[in-house]
Amino acid sequence: MIDALLEGLLLVLQWKAFAFMLLGIALGFWVGLLPGLGGVTTLALMLPFIYAMSPVEGFAFLLGMHSVVATTGDITSVLFGIPGEGTTAATILDGHAMAKKGQAGRALGAALASSLVGALVGALALALAIPVVRPLVLAFGSPELFMIAIVGIAFIASLSAQGARGMLRGFLAGGLGLMVATIGQDPQAGVARYTFDSLYLWSGLDLVPVLIGIFAIPEIVDLIVRGGSIAGEMPGGRLNQGALEGVKDTFRHFWLTIRCSLIGTFIGIMPGLGGAVAQWLAYGHAVQSARTVEEREGFGKGDVRGVLGPGAANNSKEGGALIPTVAFGVPGSSSMAILLGGFFLLGLVPGPDMLTTHLAVTFSMVWTIVLSNVITVVACFLFLNHLARLTVVRGHFLVPVILVLVFIGSYTANNHYGDVVLMLFFGVVGYLMVAGGWPRAPFVLGLVLGKIVENNLYISVARYEFAWLTRPIVLVLLALAVAVILYPLIQARRSRSRSNAHA
Amino acid sequence: MHSKASLILGAGIVLVSGAAIVIALDWPLKARLFPLAIGIPVFCMAMAEVLWGLLDPAARSEAMEFRLSDEAQGGVAVRRTLLAVAWMAGFSAAIVLLGFPSAIALLVLCYLRLQGREGWIVSGIFTLVVWALFYTVFDRLLHLPFPAGLVQGWLGL
Repeated sequence: MIDALLEGLLLVLQWKAFAFMLLGIALGFWVGLLPGLGGVTTLALMLPFIYAMSPVEGFAFLLGMHSVVATTGDITSVLFGIPGEGTTAATILDGHAMAKKGQAGRALGAALASSLVGALVGALALALAIPVVRPLVLAFGSPELFMIAIVGIAFIASLSAQGARGMLRGFLAGGLGLMVATIGQDPQAGVARYTFDSLYLWSGLDLVPVLIGIFAIPEIVDLIVRGGSIAGEMPGGRLNQGALEGVKDTFRHFWLTIRCSLIGTFIGIMPGLGGAVAQWLAYGHAVQSARTVEEREGFGKGDVRGVLGPGAANNSKEGGALIPTVAFGVPGSSSMAILLGGFFLLGLVPGPDMLTTHLAVTFSMVWTIVLSNVITVVACFLFLNHLARLTVVRGHFLVPVILVLVFIGSYTANNHYGDVVLMLFFGVVGYLMVAGGWPRAPFVLGLVLGKIVENNLYISVARYEFAWLTRPIVLVLLALAVAVILYPLIQARRSRSRSNAHA
Repeated sequence: MHSKASLILGAGIVLVSGAAIVIALDWPLKARLFPLAIGIPVFCMAMAEVLWGLLDPAARSEAMEFRLSDEAQGGVAVRRTLLAVAWMAGFSAAIVLLGFPSAIALLVLCYLRLQGREGWIVSGIFTLVVWALFYTVFDRLLHLPFPAGLVQGWLGL
């Protein structure tokens, strides 16, 4: 095992494999920064280029690119409030709020350091879990996957706003997201649902324009209304010192970062859930880690823990997602499905062979994730000072550039003007949500999980009728969902009675 | 603004979810199961939210996330919001009429001149830089297909 681990490292450090990894990192760096240009799409675009490569070179190139996309996607999310990647939207909530308070450097430092920790945890999980993961994956069927999705929505809906009315709005937003996800051809009967005879709506709504609209448009409108820069009149200060503070924050909340990394890894392992879910669950967990109601109210206004959680989870999920892909040929996400195609192009068959004959190649993947994230984070820290200064640039220089990125990012999702209209429509919805004090996170999670929830519910009912509700893991997850809903209410009541007692 | 936006959103969801339920009733069971299982609770919750807003308009519930700044208020905020909408609508129209490359140059130049009140030289140089970046990254490097605008079609270009 140790020999294979070292051999894997040596394979990646061969000059050709290392050069391909650097090329992949450079591509992934820019793909992550540019909103709308997804890591999954780029992975698919790059697949034809690996034909002439050896397996180690091919994976160094593809994984080097893919594993840094979420890291640099966090930078766009923090600085401009636009999700650089679909998997980095949760970082906006507190990361961009910090940037507006003049703490862009600290937010970026925290995002990058937690991303690195997350990636390392994911890689370690991949290295350790390969021999023991089989029973875990096999224990989770459709009913359990359905319940995980429900727990995720309950998590976010109950934690993203205050009080009973806030919770109602959270669940309403989550339900609306699930409803919007039903648009398009239904997977069971093939009926075109809510498509109004439009071919564009047949395949459902693309996540990228919806995310860009709902998060970026309210920010742009606010920037125009406010005038000035993203950070307003806040002093920029020594931004590189802020970055160091962000790194320290990662170690101050080290166990939170580790827990969120483990959440990301776990979600990555579960087939079909993916990184967009992992970041929100990690954000929900970060909010839940607040000890008091006052502390919790700080989330969304620039609490660094709201950056650390998603930052760690969206990077650790890669290692996790590779586990079922390598061990069983079951891709954990759409990007892993594309990577699975890479296996066959390179003449490898996922499964037992990858854990015996080709174990060194498997470990070379672990090392690629580790090295590419270390290189990217170091490179980002070198330019961080300049990147953070973008938040003190006058608004009228930023607005047209952000608008261009927003429109191009939406259009390039499918090269269709319909995506631009979709982005503008959800921009209006996002603006109304922000103006009305509604949480946007549950809506996005509902939208992301919609198809997964429906498929797993249908399979559960078709396969087990209502007996699936009595499965032990389902019952545990159900109890967890109820606890997640009741916990903030109990906490608020306790806090009220404590303050009444003091008065 | 807070309660008005909330009321508009709540009422909109009541209408949309109500319509979604009615439409779904015509589908086979397999197709309507999930839309109804979600649509009905959403409709009920939206009704509760609207009634809550009407009966207790003073009650506020803040989401734990980004909030609109209160640096500009009242008429000024409304005027600037409408201005932001006008810029986005104008840019959308320019994309359809002129295509992405020309619309981008036009937006950046006009925004800097009219909204930012920058001089011609600064506006021109900045427009050139943004356009060159767009052209290099999206056209030359990524080869993303941007269709020509309607005007180019009418002129036969």
